[in-house]
Parts: sequence; C-alpha cells; structure tokens
Amino acid sequence: MADLQIDHVTKAFGDTQVLKGISLDIADGEFVSLVGPSGCGKSTLLRIIAGLEGQTSGAIRINGQDVSGIRAADRNLSMVFQSYALYPHLTVAENISVPLKMRQLSASQRLPVIGPFIPGARNRNVEIAAAVKHAAQTLEIDNLLDRKPGQLSGGQRQRVALGRALVREPAAFLLDEPLSNLDAKLRVQTRAEIAELHRRLGATFVYVTHDQVEAMTMSSRIAVMMGGEILQCDAPDEVYNNPLDIRVAEFIGSPKINILPVEASDGALTFDNVVLPTLAPKNLSGPVRIGLRPEALRLAGEDAVLAGQVVHVENLGSEIFAQISLAGHDGRVTLRAAPEQRSSLYIGANVGLAFDGSAALLFGSDGKRIFNPHTVPAQSEVA
Amino acid sequence: MTRDLWKHLILILGALIVIAPFYMMVSYSFKSPGEIDRGEGGFFGRQEMMVDERCVKLRDPDRDDVAAAAPRFPNQTDSQIRDALVAEAVADCQMRPIAFNYTKAFTEAPLLRYLLNGVIVTASIFLIQIVVALPAAYALAKLKFWGREAVFSLVLFCLLIPVHAIALPLYIMLAKVGLTNTYAALVVPWTISVFGIFLMRQFFMTVPDDLIDAARMDGMGEFAIVWRVMLPTAIPALLAFAIFSVVAHWNDYFWPRIVVTGNRDLFTPPLGLREFKGDGDGSFFGPMMATATVIVTPLIVAFLVAQRRFIEGITLSGMK
Ligand SMILES: Nc1ncnc2c1ncn2[C@@H]1O[C@H](COP(=O)(O)OP(=O)(O)OP(=O)(O)O)[C@@H](O)[C@H]1O
Ligand SMILES: [Mg+2]
Repeated sequence: MADLQIDHVTKAFGDTQVLKGISLDIADGEFVSLVGPSGCGKSTLLRIIAGLEGQTSGAIRINGQDVSGIRAADRNLSMVFQSYALYPHLTVAENISVPLKMRQLSASQRLPVIGPFIPGARNRNVEIAAAVKHAAQTLEIDNLLDRKPGQLSGGQRQRVALGRALVREPAAFLLDEPLSNLDAKLRVQTRAEIAELHRRLGATFVYVTHDQVEAMTMSSRIAVMMGGEILQCDAPDEVYNNPLDIRVAEFIGSPKINILPVEASDGALTFDNVVLPTLAPKNLSGPVRIGLRPEALRLAGEDAVLAGQVVHVENLGSEIFAQISLAGHDGRVTLRAAPEQRSSLYIGANVGLAFDGSAALLFGSDGKRIFNPHTVPAQSEVA
Repeated sequence: MTRDLWKHLILILGALIVIAPFYMMVSYSFKSPGEIDRGEGGFFGRQEMMVDERCVKLRDPDRDDVAAAAPRFPNQTDSQIRDALVAEAVADCQMRPIAFNYTKAFTEAPLLRYLLNGVIVTASIFLIQIVVALPAAYALAKLKFWGREAVFSLVLFCLLIPVHAIALPLYIMLAKVGLTNTYAALVVPWTISVFGIFLMRQFFMTVPDDLIDAARMDGMGEFAIVWRVMLPTAIPALLAFAIFSVVAHWNDYFWPRIVVTGNRDLFTPPLGLREFKGDGDGSFFGPMMATATVIVTPLIVAFLVAQRRFIEGITLSGMK
C-alpha cells in the first residue's frame, strides 16, 4: 500500500509534447480515475508511473521515495494494459499465476521440470493455484482456466488481464481501461468487484477510463486530463457540479452540458437581449458563456427566460431528453424532463424554458470558471 | 484454362528437375553394380541374387583351410575340396543387391559413428546459435540503446560475407589455438549465426510491446523475458531457423573436410561418403548411394513431421 506523487512530470516524444507538467498527489488507498479524450496522454502517464517509459522531466514518488532509477519490475505495481497483453503461449491459469510465480518462487523453484521438486516449491505452488482459482472465480473465468488467450473473446481476455493484475497485492494498481470490452451486465458487475476489492484491500488505484459512469461511481477523485494537462482533480460530484474549466464541464456529464454565449455588463447577464436570472461579478463585461446541465433546465410558461422549438426527443423511459432549438441561437440545448411531460414535448412544439439562477455555471472568455458573487434571489427571476 | 495447364506443366518440370537426383540416389541404393553400370532394372532393380566378390576373395581357402575341411569331404582330392569350399563361400556371399548396399553402407565405414557425430555437431551448433541469437535479436528488436541501428547494419553486412571467403583465416586461427581435429573446430565457427539474429529480430519486431511491458510488470528481468516470453512465442520462427541451420550443418561437406584431417572418429556423415569413392576394385556406387540415403533420411523425416509449423515459420504468421 502506498501513496503516489506525480510531480511536474512532462513527456515529449521527439517534438510532440504529450504531457505538459502533470502534478497529482494520490493518497494511500485512494481511487483516482483519469478521464479525458482519446490521445490526451492517459496511457502515457500510467506507463510513466509504472516505469515502462521514462519521463522527460519531473519525478514520480512512491511512498515518498523517488523511483526514477527503479525498474518497472521492482516498483511493485500491477497494471492492466489497454491491449490486454496476455502471454499467448500460456493458458489462462498460467497467465494469471505468472506475477505470483515471478515474485513468490525462487529462481530455482521456477525452473522447468525440476523446479516443482525444489524444497518449498510444492506448498507455494498450492498457494498460488488457490489464489489463481479465487481470482478466476471472482471474474467468472474459472471455466476458462485451461484455454489459451487465442481461444477467448475480447471480454474474456480482458478479464484474464484483470485477473493477472488483481491476483497480487501490489503497492498500487494501474488499470488502463480495464472494462472497455465487457458487455453492460458484466461491466456493472466487474465495476462492483473492483470497487469492492478497493474497499477490501484499501489499495491505491489509478484507473483510466472513457466511461463517465465508471469514473463517477468508483472514484474518490476524478482527474480530467486534456491536451497533456490535468484540468481538474476533485471528487466526482465536485467535478460535475463545480467544473473549473469549460472543457471539464463539457467533457463530464451525459448528455453534454448546454453552453450559451451571453453578454455580461454591470453584474447582469443577457442572452438574446433577455436578462438571465444569474448574477455576474460587477466588474465583468463583454461576452462570456454559461453552462446549464440538462437537468437544470425546466419547462416553463409565463416565467420562461428562453424560448425555442422542440427538434428531437429521446425517450429513455425513466426520463426524456428533448433537444430544443433556441430562438436567436444556432445551437441546440438539451432538456431533461420527466416522463409526464411527454405530451408537451412533441417535435415542432414551441416551449419556454426557465432555470434556477444558481444552477448556471459561468465561464469567462478564456474558458475558466467565474464564480457568481451569490445566487440570484427569487424575486429578480421575473426579469 | 490453357494458362493453368502451362503453369502446371512448368511446375511439374521444375519438380522433376529437383527430384531427379534424389530418385537416382534412392534407386542406385537398391541396385546391383551391374545394373548401375548398364543403367537397367527400373527403380528397384531386379533384386536378383548377386555375389559379393570381395567377400568371396576374403574367404579364399588356403592350404590350412583345405586340411581342416578334409574330414568333411572324405575320399576327395585337395583341389576338389578346395572347389567345394569356394562354392560354399560363393553361396554364403550371395545376397540381394539392396541388402548388399545397405549392409556395406554400415559395415564398410562406421556410419553409425558418423551419424552420431552429425547429431552432436548439428545439435551443439543449433543450441549455441539460439543462446546467442535470441538475446541479440531481442535487444535489436525491442531495447532502445545508442547505436542500435549501427549494430543492426553490421548484422546485415555480415549476412553478405560468404563462408568460403573466411574459411582460410578461420582455419589458421583454429590451427593456431590447436583446435583442428576436435568437435570444437566443427562447432565454434558457426555459433554466431547472423542469419539467425536477423530472422529472429524480424519476428520479434511483430511481438507487441505491451506484452514485454506486461512481463516487466509481472516482475521479469530482461533475460527472463527472452526465455520465458520471447522464446515460446517465437517457436514457429525458431523451427524455420532450425531447419535452415540443421540442414546446412548436417549436409556440410566443405568445413568438416577442412578442419577434420585424418581422425575418422570425428567424421560427419557427408565425410563418410568419401569412404566409397572409387578405389582400385571398381565403383562402389550402390553402397555410396545407400549411405547418402541413410544420411538424408533423418532430415526428410524431421521435415515431414514439422512441415506445418515450418511453413508457418517461414511465413512468420505464428502470431496475430
Ligand atoms: N511511443 C510513442 N511515440 C510517439 N508518440 C506517442 C508514443 N506513444 C504515445 N504517443 C502519442 O502520445 C499521445 C498520448 O498517447 P496515449 O496513449 O497516452 O493516449 P491515451 O490518452 O491513452 O488515449 P486512449 O484513450 O485512446 O487510449 C498520442 O497523441 C500518441 O500519439
Ligand atoms: Mg490509452
């Protein structure tokens, strides 16, 4: 068990700067998810932590100790690779047992043919077999133990890769999109397994994922990476409710947050000449943007601040997402509505929208978050 | 249609040209000297009883033999006894040509010993070649170090050097350290196979980097990776290399002929063929071809057994 410190790590491949100064402190036992668009450097960061790739500058510390000169094999981390990377010549059981064998058996005990007869090898091998069996049962691959990776489906291979990483108790687990190829049911189940394992072992996890639900449900903190930088690293609801950068706001949340260009002057915000129920700092003026989550919008009659026409409706059963094209704005906004409101959300319907002033997130023209001075009092909503 | 016909005709012609010497070899190994000389008897020869002249000559009875045999032939003159003995010898020395050729192959020269030498030499060469080539190929394919490209260019360059060009310096060096007429002389010059390094490197290039990284995460050092991960995944390529290496060194006549002078205990199978080169008492083509057949048989059997993997290895499609 260990804490991890990533200290101003940069990485350049030739001329391309892939990581631009990443700093992240991960406490012992924390579960940190790395999310970000494809190619933003998540795998590269994980490989640098693992010691498989050298950083251009900066340092990685495990338990306070700088590991720069330490080989990957000696950092005592375990990793699941995005490409599974199973040994093609070994069976599933052998694949899972490799990390245990390499670490718990002596060199002579690992020898082919005579290895098992070296004193002590038998007991160790029995322990290892039991650990492998247990890991396989957890991941529901215990019926595949005798197969070779070539005879498995993508999802099964991924579970074997996961088993190989989880069978040990390393200082920290590095998982690179370990569930990307599982079906929905298995994904939910394995997600729960990993979360359970995390609680049980109290181990440190760094978890790369594209799946926001995974990131939101499993993590202690989510680090949002983009263009080789960490834009924000906070608890899941903090990242969702209080994004510090418009890119974070746009990346987290599905459907995507609605961004509206607004005009700030004198502490008020106007959209298409309508004054919005959100206050702005007094000294702010000029074009800024506000972000509104789909659930922050609601259908409104008289008190509507935005008006538009329904252009597309998605009914998910438990909720409805309606896309509305706003008058005076060429984009669309997404509204989350309750199923009862289906009757008023037909295509072509003219609707009015309102929102609570405090729910709007204000971003400056540079994309950075601007905190509203306070929430707008209820009476000024009738603007 | 006609194009197919032509294609097949040309291929059949090619196959015939390749097979013809083998056909002759096997066929001669079945036939009697007379049939070989006259070029008759088809593939198997007529397999009529023939008399081994040498065997008869060896049993040519002298006076003591005649005296010893006298009790068996009472009331006969010495010359009659002698004729009877010769007739007996001729009867004993009669055999089918095929049996004659193959027994001669094994008795005239210590062919088994030569075969054993062949196995010792080719196996040692192959094993040491692997011990050298696999780590070298791994380093050239997967490790980043300064000068890697230059080293690889050297490997490619060495591929261009014909063995005959360096035979003399090699011989002199071996002679200087007193290694001629030893197994070492037969083995040492071939232990570093640039072809092997090249072939294995090309194969290792196709092994995904993540696999090696996973092995590192699992706690393997670089040598463990070579033997525990790269070697098993490279079996098809290794088999292909094994065939090239074993065939080349099993059949090699040139190098053993140079470094093994005199000491027959070190003869490899091809050197054994020399024992049958025509000396005074007529040609020995039958036994010679029988020896040749015995020598190539292990290779052909090994190829047939490993055929599928071998072709896999050549196309380097062992791994996806
Ligand atoms: N060995 C390399 N040489 C050059 N560029 C590289 C190398 N490895 C990665 N890159 C580049 O670094 C960038 C980040 O790659 P990385 O694999 O870390 O992305 P990622 O965030 O894991 O993406 P994904 O979500 O698709 O897995 C990419 O633009 C990639 O092209
Ligand atoms: Mg990646």
